[in-house]
Amino acid sequence: MLFTLNGESRDIPADWADEPLLFLLSEAFGLTGSKFGCGVGICGACTVIIDGAAARACITRASDVDGLSVRTIEGLATGDVLHPVQQAWLDLGVPQCGYCQAGQIMAAVALLEQVPDPTPDDIDGAMDGNLCRCGTYPRIRAAISRAAEQA
Amino acid sequence: MRRRTLLAAAAGGLVALIGAGVGVWSQVPVIPERPAPDAGAALGWIAHRNGRYTLTLPRAEMGQNIATALKQVACAELGADWDAIDVVLHATEMSRVKATVGSESVMLFAEPLAQACAALRDALAAGQATGLVTVTLRPVSELRALRAGGLIGTSPEIVQGREIVTGAPLYAADVRLPGMLYGRVLRAPASVEVASRPRQWSLDAARAVPGFVAVVEECGPPIGQSQGLGIVASRPAALDAIAEALQLDWDMAGPHPRSDIARAIDIEARLAEGKLPHVVMDDAPEDGPWDIDLRLDIPMAAHGPIEPRAAVAKWQDGSLTVWAGTQDAFYIRDFLSHAFALRAGAVTVQSCRIGGAFGGKTICTVEAEAAALTIATGAPVKVQWTRAQEYALGFHRPPSSHRIRARLSKGRITDWDHSQISAHIMFTSAVVPPWMQRGTDMFAGDGGVARGMAAPYVLGRARAAYDMVRLPVHTGPWRGLGAGPNALAIESAIDDAALAAGVDPLAFRLAHIADPLLAGVLTRVAEIASWERPLAPISGLRLGRGIACGTYKDTSHAAAVADVAVDATGLVRVTRLWCAHDCGLVINPDQVRAQCEGNLVWSLGMVLTDDLPTADGHVTAQTFADAPIPRMTEVPPITVDLIQSNRPPLGAGETAIVAGPGAIANAIRAATGRRLTRFPVRPGDLTA
Repeated sequence: MLFTLNGESRDIPADWADEPLLFLLSEAFGLTGSKFGCGVGICGACTVIIDGAAARACITRASDVDGLSVRTIEGLATGDVLHPVQQAWLDLGVPQCGYCQAGQIMAAVALLEQVPDPTPDDIDGAMDGNLCRCGTYPRIRAAISRAAEQA
Repeated sequence: MRRRTLLAAAAGGLVALIGAGVGVWSQVPVIPERPAPDAGAALGWIAHRNGRYTLTLPRAEMGQNIATALKQVACAELGADWDAIDVVLHATEMSRVKATVGSESVMLFAEPLAQACAALRDALAAGQATGLVTVTLRPVSELRALRAGGLIGTSPEIVQGREIVTGAPLYAADVRLPGMLYGRVLRAPASVEVASRPRQWSLDAARAVPGFVAVVEECGPPIGQSQGLGIVASRPAALDAIAEALQLDWDMAGPHPRSDIARAIDIEARLAEGKLPHVVMDDAPEDGPWDIDLRLDIPMAAHGPIEPRAAVAKWQDGSLTVWAGTQDAFYIRDFLSHAFALRAGAVTVQSCRIGGAFGGKTICTVEAEAAALTIATGAPVKVQWTRAQEYALGFHRPPSSHRIRARLSKGRITDWDHSQISAHIMFTSAVVPPWMQRGTDMFAGDGGVARGMAAPYVLGRARAAYDMVRLPVHTGPWRGLGAGPNALAIESAIDDAALAAGVDPLAFRLAHIADPLLAGVLTRVAEIASWERPLAPISGLRLGRGIACGTYKDTSHAAAVADVAVDATGLVRVTRLWCAHDCGLVINPDQVRAQCEGNLVWSLGMVLTDDLPTADGHVTAQTFADAPIPRMTEVPPITVDLIQSNRPPLGAGETAIVAGPGAIANAIRAATGRRLTRFPVRPGDLTA
């Protein structure tokens, strides 16, 4: 089984095929940016982009991405140059504890790729499934708007 | 020390049943030591080598972004370039620092760090390049880092921000070691306060699960009275399959005598039993009829950090190394040394960035599980709790039941009587066993339950008293301890008193406030929210505006205004929040604002969502669906204004939670005419 991970072709080891994609990424491949938060797809901390759409890596079986393209937070920046969404996150000091933020950023990137100039309702609609206990929501909204302006 | 069987390599991979029988664990808890920070100790936090500085952060980093604030302090005092200072999180090899709790990190640590940095700066200027520096304390007025200007009062890019937005490893669960295995300790679906232990299980079925490594009976100390059964696998999700295959049966005592938590936390029932033993304010109100008689019930609540607690432990050559997301690495070390009968020097705990703690990651649980499993298997083991374990095995904000009575004369409160029944916070049942708690109950009360119960108003003859009961679910510190619930009760009663007096709630509060700083934040929030401006009606919605204020730990002050819209079905939307905040000198305004924003979102949660369901004395919540936290669509725009102050820097991590909930509840009262008396609000409470 092969899939594309951040632009590179990768093999899915047979013994990891039945694990959640989240653990294939974080434990087998060492891409620890995507986080375990709930294990049932409610919190969004594990959000990655699969074939262009935001998806929950904790409830996606590794074998289910056979032949698909997966993007994670580790694949967003180009060298030292951050993706505009990452840069907006830093400029507006969004993260508090930071644990949910990779999932938030991936959900935001997926939104902006589909809706480059989102309305406030578009943002709330796309992001409502990504939980943040620290309460960074107002800054997440502002960072998405800023990234949209600067894209 | 208990018997131990080391993992044996068997044909077809590692298969083992490790340990036989259950160890006898000490009944004497390890109590955290809390040394006050001083400048001498602070020298251990800052070092200079080859033109670069290393700041070893003496605090846990859990999203308060204290790493950024203390780096600003160090940088300002040293006169160093921002990029010349590397910040690292501490391990227990450093001399002990107290737990990161109580919004103390800037208040207690900025000055000693500045003193140490000033001494280091002068030593470097005098040509000293190696060795230790002696700190001669200088007046605070000579410290460059404790006055506005330069880096102080600015908001540089947050430390570890780049790592967060690029997904670099920072948290305990991000640690990966060669040969690392994955562990979990299964425990009975019962109250942690009744004895339970595994009775029988199907080892053969578990062995058949791909990825199975071991079942471990010697899996560490109990949580409460809950003895577990450890399982270890080569892949994390195999743990779920193994847990299922085991078909575990449990021996469970019980039921717990206070399995009906709502009945145990009922202020009327408690007052009927007699006087409350713990007194916060003791001026006896006069007898007679009351103008206000308000009962409020606030439920149990989980911390709900997005990071379930995690630890990686490695046992090698008699030494134990643990990576932990903890508010107190030194306590974890002491606990592990004690539990596993190891020399203190044989245990090292490395702090990792914490994915949200809020008071909940102060005790030792998952770290001991990981330690037991690495000791049993000889391989490094990672344990991260499931969300359901977070609810079932963590400790939580206790429920509280309040009765506040007040009497008015000529528009002023002349008598005040606040009674509360809750469960332990400071002397958390998660650490303090019943026999010891009987002692603390008698001699110390519980400062956590009491926090914020002394209302920040001039109330005439005022009494406030409380009591605690030990519940079947563990309770303990939760952001602000008792201050949030107490302030919600007090601010609700004050608002009702203003209404009864026929006085505007802002003017009524100002008339009862003696502290000009508290009056200052109240006046300021009224300005930025245009308190006097009437709300423009919206068809089909009931609109209301509320105000509240408070003082946290006698030092920092906050006031909030909330606007709400309530529809005909009783659905509440908070449409706008404002906050004015005074925490003395502000080192990093953007991050203080972030703390205020977070506290206001928590305030919204306290009124609209926070509730941890229980049945038969144990937590039934399994996922965020059962114990919801605020979502983006529920959170309105927030405006925060920081008071410029000449006071020393104080705490900001919990202050606004004394103002936000009351402002929202009072806005709902203004919109609907109904005083919320049980939380969180249910739509049926407010139908038109």
